[in-house]
Amino acid sequence: MNQILEIIGMVLLLIGGIFLFLGGLGIFRMPDTYNRLQAGTKATTLGGMSVILSVGLLEPGWFIKTLVLVIFIALSNPISSHALARANYKRKNYPYLKGGKEYDKYREVYQKEEEETA
Amino acid sequence: MKMKKILVISLLAVFGVYLTEALFKLDFGRQFFQQGVKDFYLVTTPMKLQVANVVTAIVVNFRGFDTLGEVTVLFLATTAMGSILYKGRHQLGERAVLFSGSRIVTTGSRLLFPAIILLGAYVFIHGHLTPGGGFQGGVIIATGFLLMLMAYADYSVSHIVLSVVESLAGITFATIGLLGMLHGGSFLQDFLPNGSLNDLLSGGIIPIIYIAVGFKVGAELTGLIYTALNEKD
Repeated sequence: MNQILEIIGMVLLLIGGIFLFLGGLGIFRMPDTYNRLQAGTKATTLGGMSVILSVGLLEPGWFIKTLVLVIFIALSNPISSHALARANYKRKNYPYLKGGKEYDKYREVYQKEEEETA
Repeated sequence: MKMKKILVISLLAVFGVYLTEALFKLDFGRQFFQQGVKDFYLVTTPMKLQVANVVTAIVVNFRGFDTLGEVTVLFLATTAMGSILYKGRHQLGERAVLFSGSRIVTTGSRLLFPAIILLGAYVFIHGHLTPGGGFQGGVIIATGFLLMLMAYADYSVSHIVLSVVESLAGITFATIGLLGMLHGGSFLQDFLPNGSLNDLLSGGIIPIIYIAVGFKVGAELTGLIYTALNEKD
């Protein structure tokens, strides 16, 4: 039983490490803020969660604590990156798109909202 | 061009080798590490005081008077910053946070706020058992309030409540010191029973002082953040 837990924990640790590395690579390689946020947030959420969960599996005494940490990361990480992306959009830093404006469906809605409030 | 770069790199390498050699020759007071005051602390703290966290024991018990000075310095610094920002505080309602966050942010911060406060309280209540203590827990609590203040445009903190909490915490610290004077003869003398190692209720006066410090630092930093967010530029 203990050995199975250990193997699962090791596999989770490996997955988490790979995802954290990919997140770092994405932040380095992506062209603009939104792409970087997407790469960073998704990868660090999954990577951090699986690394912490693997710690809980390798040390069964800490499992409940690591579960609480995983819930905290699942709540805080997406919310913070959402707030960053929204603040960036409000600063009129629009996404970098190859096809041009027509792919940014939100911009018209947003500009209409801005005119109504102004 | 290329020659120049190679020359620079090789010069840097030679310089680095000599610098590391010179730095390795310094022993940075090694003879004091081998035998000295650290053994006294490392042996006395778990054996006599029954405190697992040696740093906390040094900060609060052996050098409690210094900590009182630190708390005073923090209080003076926040007071000074408040008075510098006083001009902007006339116009309350002119906040640096102009609009509330989106629904995701507000809901999420409502969910996270109790968790952050709980973590801060845990850190300063378990100051004598685990890493952390009053200062760190107070800062965590202040970050919780910062989250709420940034998520909601109309979230407000009562300055009166903050100053009452802060003063009560400071009075608790000084009273403990005076009680030690009554019992043992010197200011901040440890007069409570020490209990047993790794118990929540152990360590003499350390938990009480750290809880007071946690409340004080949390209230001070929250007031500081609130004042800074209400600044009008």
